[in-house]
Amino acid sequence: MPFLDVLTSGQLLFAALVTGSLYALVALGLNLVYGTMRMLNVAHGDLVMLGAYAAYWAFTLAGVSPLAAAPVVAGVGAALGYALYRGLFQRLIGGAQIDAGRVEANSLLLFFGLSIILQNVAALAFTPNNRAYQYLDNVVRIGNVSMTGNRIAVLAIAGLTCIAVALFLSRSVAGLAMRAVIERREAAYIVGVDVDRVQWSSFALGFGCAGLAGVLLSMLEQFSPFSGFPFTVAGFIVIILGGLGNLLAGLLAALLLGVIETYGVALTSANLRSVLLYGVFVGALVLFPNGLLARLKGRR
Amino acid sequence: MRTQGIDRRTWFGLLLATAAALAPGCATAQADKPLRLGFSMARTGMLANATPSQANTYELWREQVNARGGMDVGGVKRKVEFVTYDDQSKPEQAVRIYEKLITDDKVDLLLAPWGTPFHISIAPVLEKYKFPMVGNTAASVALRQVKPGYIWFPTSAIPDRIAVELVAMLKQNGAKSAVVIANVLPFTKEIKNALEPELKKGGIDVKLSTEYPPDIKDMTSILTQAKQANPDAVLALAYPGDSVLYAKQAKELGLNSPFQFIAIGPSDAFFPKAVGPTSTDGVVTIAHWSPRPEWKGSQAFYDAYTKKFGEDPDYLNSALAWMSLEILEKAVAKNGLDKEKIRATIAKDTFETINGPVRFDGVQNAITPTAFVQYQGGKMQIVWPSSIASAKYQPKKGW
Repeated sequence: MPFLDVLTSGQLLFAALVTGSLYALVALGLNLVYGTMRMLNVAHGDLVMLGAYAAYWAFTLAGVSPLAAAPVVAGVGAALGYALYRGLFQRLIGGAQIDAGRVEANSLLLFFGLSIILQNVAALAFTPNNRAYQYLDNVVRIGNVSMTGNRIAVLAIAGLTCIAVALFLSRSVAGLAMRAVIERREAAYIVGVDVDRVQWSSFALGFGCAGLAGVLLSMLEQFSPFSGFPFTVAGFIVIILGGLGNLLAGLLAALLLGVIETYGVALTSANLRSVLLYGVFVGALVLFPNGLLARLKGRR
Repeated sequence: MRTQGIDRRTWFGLLLATAAALAPGCATAQADKPLRLGFSMARTGMLANATPSQANTYELWREQVNARGGMDVGGVKRKVEFVTYDDQSKPEQAVRIYEKLITDDKVDLLLAPWGTPFHISIAPVLEKYKFPMVGNTAASVALRQVKPGYIWFPTSAIPDRIAVELVAMLKQNGAKSAVVIANVLPFTKEIKNALEPELKKGGIDVKLSTEYPPDIKDMTSILTQAKQANPDAVLALAYPGDSVLYAKQAKELGLNSPFQFIAIGPSDAFFPKAVGPTSTDGVVTIAHWSPRPEWKGSQAFYDAYTKKFGEDPDYLNSALAWMSLEILEKAVAKNGLDKEKIRATIAKDTFETINGPVRFDGVQNAITPTAFVQYQGGKMQIVWPSSIASAKYQPKKGW
């Protein structure tokens, strides 16, 4: 089979979609919290890591399938998000007017501390051992594309969740309120949007997404208490590419990242992965400082 | 008045008497004082997930030594306690820690940190304070550049030796073609550099040779090309983090070459849990130990480790850690805590360990052969070289 056929075979497309959808889910949660409150959650990847541990323990100790554990873990994540918002982060934000610079800086420090605490508590409680389990790893062949069950499940769940959140944001009143707060915070206040509710619900939704992403991650690869940080980085690349706070563009940027990781590597060399990734990132920042889809959004 | 009080002379006498009474007590107190062994370990940071198999082995050893009354220090048994710090996966931090252990904590003996860069970084500190330490989890051709004297490396898994032995093993099992996929981190990169010319010399057709970065998340494009090459052997020079990614995606894509070599990762207990027993079976990896009746204590070590930690020891790192402790124990039993004598003993004696006899030539183990193990029926067996093999190599039957 010549190389061109590899590129068009669908095998790479599948890989790009799996990677992209997981990034999209991670970035979505990060973007929600940033968009509505201008908070930089650098502990986001560590929440993903905790989600992975939750699924791991549920599977190995109680034999609960990660698919069944997923909604529970997402729910617990959301509750944790709510609690943290009420207990720790609510006081950072003022009322209608938000001093973005101050909130960004203070939240960065708080979340950084949270990240270190989560990593080290996880290392103490769970040991730094690599953890992994085997679930749904039968190979399914469709045409000339072969896929393992768990990767199909990850693609389906992450993809559907992203679509559901996108629909929620564009169709439901609560979702529109969320976008209103993201785009015109003061105006949202004036027209009577319950900004506090929007804030705690985006915190909860963001943390829930992170927990869910963790469950999916645990089905794919091994992880340790220190596996979260790369996901924080990937998440930030995605949301900066898409435009900070621009949720729908973030989803597309995540897919772009997945495409770069698979097709870029296939066309050049795996060693150039980071060069390609950060090259596109820096290039996009220089050419489109407000995000790749900023112009599109402005027109709408 | 004099008769009522105690005069100065009596005081002095009492004091002397007390001192005399306490003197032998002091000697006992020295023996009662626990022996302090210092080391640094990556408990946090990017390498922390690789260190438990070594740290666990240290723990097990301390427990066993103290249960039998303590470590033999030139004929006197002394309980053992650890002085240990987290080096945060940073070699420069380990350098500071070992300086502190020697000068500030004044530990009696030193144990090794985890990993090649850490061993190499602290070697000058050991040299400076003339403090002998038996290394363990370090493997690199660069070890030969380390000045011999106060550090030794018991491993035989040195990249250029691995290349020679691997090609010999491939030839013996009839492999005519191979694909090499290498992580760019130092150890696997060194193997790749040594392996390519060796494969050529051995007449094995290298159909694809490629590298990938440690943070790789998807191997689809590399493995699709590897599959097209349809080689007799896939030599995946992976680290623990990507060994599982390789195995899972090789299964997904049906990369079914009969000889499947994965450099590091499979010898750790998490690997079979991650990819499942069927996929694990037949994988060949680097290790030179397995429980064998010929190696005294090897089965006992395996049993004690699995009992305490509920999983298999790492056949490479746990075994090396235990060997280093055995060597240190014997040297200290013979010499007490005299550092120069300990150094001289380690440098020239032959030690019986759970991995057979070990003798150092300069910094390197001169006896233990470079070897490979294969998963067979859920257990790792030494399949190369035949001099220490515990089972015969079997071609892998798919994933």
